[in-house]
Amino acid sequence: MLALNSIREFRTRPLRTLLTLAGVAVTTAMLADMLMLGRGITRSFGELLESRGYELRLTPKGTLPFDTEATVPGFATLRDSVESVAGVERVAPVLAASVTVETSDDSGRSVEALALGMDSGDQGLYRLTEGETPRPGEVLTDADVRGSLGVEPGSAVRLRPAGATGAWGRRTTARVSGTGEFVFASRGDLQVVMRLDDLQALSSQEDRVSFAMIRIGEGFEPDSVRAAILARNDRVEIVTLAGISERLDARLSYFRQTALILATVSLVVATLLVGTLTAVSVSERLGLIAALRAVGLSRRRIVGGLAAESVVLCSIGGAIGVALSVVVAGYLESILSDFPGLPVAVRFFVVSADSLVTAFALLLVSGTVAGLIPALNATRLEVASMLHKEAP
Amino acid sequence: MLRPRVAKRVGKRVLKRILPRRCALVVSAASIALSTWVPLEAHAQECPTGLEVLVERPFADAAGLTAGSTVVMRSTIEGEPCNAVVAGIFEPPPDPASLNTTRPRVLFHLPHLQAMTGRGNEVDYFTVRMRPGTDLAALAADLEPLLPGAQVLPVSEVAERSSTTFRVVSRFHTAIAVITLIAGGVFLGCIMILKVQERRLPIAAARLTGIPRRLLFWWTVAEAAMLSTLGGAAGFGVGVASSAVVNAYYQRYYDTTLVFSQVTGAVVTEALALAVLLGMAAGVFAATRLLTSDPLDEMGR
Repeated sequence: MLALNSIREFRTRPLRTLLTLAGVAVTTAMLADMLMLGRGITRSFGELLESRGYELRLTPKGTLPFDTEATVPGFATLRDSVESVAGVERVAPVLAASVTVETSDDSGRSVEALALGMDSGDQGLYRLTEGETPRPGEVLTDADVRGSLGVEPGSAVRLRPAGATGAWGRRTTARVSGTGEFVFASRGDLQVVMRLDDLQALSSQEDRVSFAMIRIGEGFEPDSVRAAILARNDRVEIVTLAGISERLDARLSYFRQTALILATVSLVVATLLVGTLTAVSVSERLGLIAALRAVGLSRRRIVGGLAAESVVLCSIGGAIGVALSVVVAGYLESILSDFPGLPVAVRFFVVSADSLVTAFALLLVSGTVAGLIPALNATRLEVASMLHKEAP
Repeated sequence: MLRPRVAKRVGKRVLKRILPRRCALVVSAASIALSTWVPLEAHAQECPTGLEVLVERPFADAAGLTAGSTVVMRSTIEGEPCNAVVAGIFEPPPDPASLNTTRPRVLFHLPHLQAMTGRGNEVDYFTVRMRPGTDLAALAADLEPLLPGAQVLPVSEVAERSSTTFRVVSRFHTAIAVITLIAGGVFLGCIMILKVQERRLPIAAARLTGIPRRLLFWWTVAEAAMLSTLGGAAGFGVGVASSAVVNAYYQRYYDTTLVFSQVTGAVVTEALALAVLLGMAAGVFAATRLLTSDPLDEMGR
């Protein structure tokens, strides 16, 4: 009943109502987007890490995977030590090195790519899309390397460490085994994967790895396994997925803080807008309010009616804003997707029910409070003096 | 040999010298400058005699290091430990690209680092200062064949490649500014409509007494422009204060002298011009609505 009255009231001033709804919708969209931004990076990166099925990362002390060129020496011994820890189910080593990949014919086509050396069959960092995982003497490329060189599974390519030319440095010829999608690749990155020992030999890094992924058996806690590994090996870093997400979060804290500031500003603007409109609307109807109170309508009922207007405004504007926020999030995501150094799969804006519901609820509560204040003030005034003042 | 006190003073100058700010070309060891993973060649690693380093100020503060302190350094976790004297502390240059660098920076004499890491006679990149009037492209083309495995890049290209982050953040800020502008415009439009509705009777009376419609129109527009100018001026004050808060907070957060937010004349002019234009547009919209109605109807004929 109260809501119907409110809608009737709004229909008498359509332009004002439309503008207010537009204002509430834009600010709600901004609020929801900033909530998505604040939570999105950590959430999507966490999901990406978890999707690979390894709970721990072993890295050189003080680094994260793909963070520096530092490597862990003496990995064979280290691997035995890690694998003997209770709870460790599997250790998947990775060596990363820049290589030049060129066609084996005389076309002269070549690209610089990041080569990943992994155990045979391990797909912890890529998804096979065509062909087979690389065996000894084989290399699997991403679609961009394949397109740039014009090679197909079965073609031969030449590889050498980046920077090595002519007779300098090692080189090898490998057969392309297939194509894959590299899950941690940034935009514009070119990547290939080959057997760990092949890349170690090519890059003169025998028995070294850049990092290793560790899978934990069921029933074991990542933190306790981490502590057990560290107790035996103090020259490496063991990071849990939560730890990696936290460090990424710290590096991108600028966006989280910006999101918090903009979300607060949006909420204040929406509250001011609803509060101003309700205040003007109440002051226009002081005579009517006085008359209703004079004929015996309770204060609570009048306040309820006026507050219902704010609730209806916020509900309709908020619902439009929530829908708008999804569109705006897509647009802002398209801008931030060019952010360098982050995996393409990581999203800044993750559309989630909790962000949308929180934005809507925050707006509804603050808008209702903003509407209640002028309504309560108006009903506190003396009825007789109001009637006298508002008399035509 | 760097004397501790001298080194502290020259720290900044040394840094400026090693950065390719005044240089025209950067020769890097591989085609993706500064970001490629080139494996170390196996040379003997050794501790150089008289090893001295400069340590960046934030790390020195955190670790309690001062000029004259002795530290132990290794090139890798399994490398030979080398005693080094902290010759001085340097203030890191305000470089936005290094804001998220978590590892402390230490400056060595080049031969010392080459000896420690076993990379004798090897550098990652070097910069070349040109004589005035030199053809940059031609020289780069001439140099590259002489340096197998290296790439010669103009400094402008290196800057372009390393500024992607800031270009993306700038585009993001522009998008947010547009959304804010839309929200501000709608708010202003709303306020103008409310003001106009409040004034229906006086305006109708003014029209009936013969005051020209054009005068009333410009009166309303001028009022809107004045309102938005005052709002813009207040916003300028808020902007200056916010800018100071942002700088103070982030400079402390990142422990840097970098200026994060600058209120420049161009930004102020642009913001005020936009506010006034937006206000005038809202005024024109409101005045048009007000003056198209019949004054007799407004007076309750």
